[in-house]
Amino acid sequence: MNEQKFSDEFLNAFVDEQLAAEEKSRAYQAIGADPALNQRVCELRKLRDLVRLAYQDPPAAPVPNLRTHRYRAGSVAALLLLTLGVTLGWLLHDPVAVPPVADAPAAAPLVTAAATALSPAAATRGRETKVLLHLNSGNRARMQEVLDEAELLLKHYRANRQIARVQIIVNGEGLNLLRADTSPYPERVSALLKRYDNLLLAACQNTIDRLKREQGLIARLLPGTVVVDSGVAQIILRQQQGWIYIQV
Amino acid sequence: MKKLLVLSAALLLALGAGMAQAAGYAKQKVVYHVNYSDEKQLTAAMGNIQNHINAVGKDNIDVKVVMHGPGLDLLKIANTNPDMQQKVVNLKNQKVGFQVCNNTLVGRKINYKNDLFDVSEKDIVPSGVAELAKLQQEGYVYIKP
Repeated sequence: MNEQKFSDEFLNAFVDEQLAAEEKSRAYQAIGADPALNQRVCELRKLRDLVRLAYQDPPAAPVPNLRTHRYRAGSVAALLLLTLGVTLGWLLHDPVAVPPVADAPAAAPLVTAAATALSPAAATRGRETKVLLHLNSGNRARMQEVLDEAELLLKHYRANRQIARVQIIVNGEGLNLLRADTSPYPERVSALLKRYDNLLLAACQNTIDRLKREQGLIARLLPGTVVVDSGVAQIILRQQQGWIYIQV
Repeated sequence: MKKLLVLSAALLLALGAGMAQAAGYAKQKVVYHVNYSDEKQLTAAMGNIQNHINAVGKDNIDVKVVMHGPGLDLLKIANTNPDMQQKVVNLKNQKVGFQVCNNTLVGRKINYKNDLFDVSEKDIVPSGVAELAKLQQEGYVYIKP
């Protein structure tokens, strides 16, 4: 029934965080109550995630534009070359004066220059370094690793007086790291949070909801941690905001 | 004059062909993250990279593989397993860079000259994770196969 209530456009807007608060809460309730709908939303999010990862390089420019720019630049290059050839031809009536090798190097830098101009300057993303570490595994070694990596990075940035933010996002089995009743490292989490105010630990609401739905479990989280509505959506959003993404 | 026009036309055709080939994908910079030791998963990752290069064209892509933690097993396995070794060699021949985390070398007491396949000083980075961050800042797209 919800399938009829929510169109694909609506669900896509939901996944893209484009909905107004009211619509969003309506969607939340419906999704929470309907596993099939929840599944669809999950799939949409996965798709977004993949698309986002595949085209992560130019954060601002949408992909289709890149393509048209390429073609446009290509045709500009071709036009320039044609003009060059024709002009040279008219100017130099003696064909021997323009041997083939003379044209070739002229053409090559032109194309290279066009290609260089197209590559997005992704290096310029501001001075603050922002790193998102993603944990979706309940494996204890991975849990330890994500904390180790976060700590190493935070230590490194602090030592270098570099402005930085580190966020750990957990979903799926990874939620165990931040659950008060399952976390193998509650003291360490609390110590890290105390030492680094530029560290954020976030858990996925969808995972918490699923635990409740499937196992009747109410997940209590460690103090100082936060909840985001969707882990995958958060990953996409952060990358759009220029965060570095590393899956542990 | 006629000769020149023919020449220009030929050049344009050649240029057009070149652009058509490149039109499928823009130039790509990609970093593959390897921090697991499962042989099947590692073999699949090598396959992913090769397929990626095939799709984009080896002159149109810059690929780096960053290994840390259990991921160094890739080059451990390549040391003894000829199939894996061949895959690594093939990728290296296509200018794929294999970067090894020094934290892991120290932490796990790995002697890269004996224990790992074809690693030299220049392949070692101070920290695998920091390298992943740096490369992404330089515009490399992150992929974890």
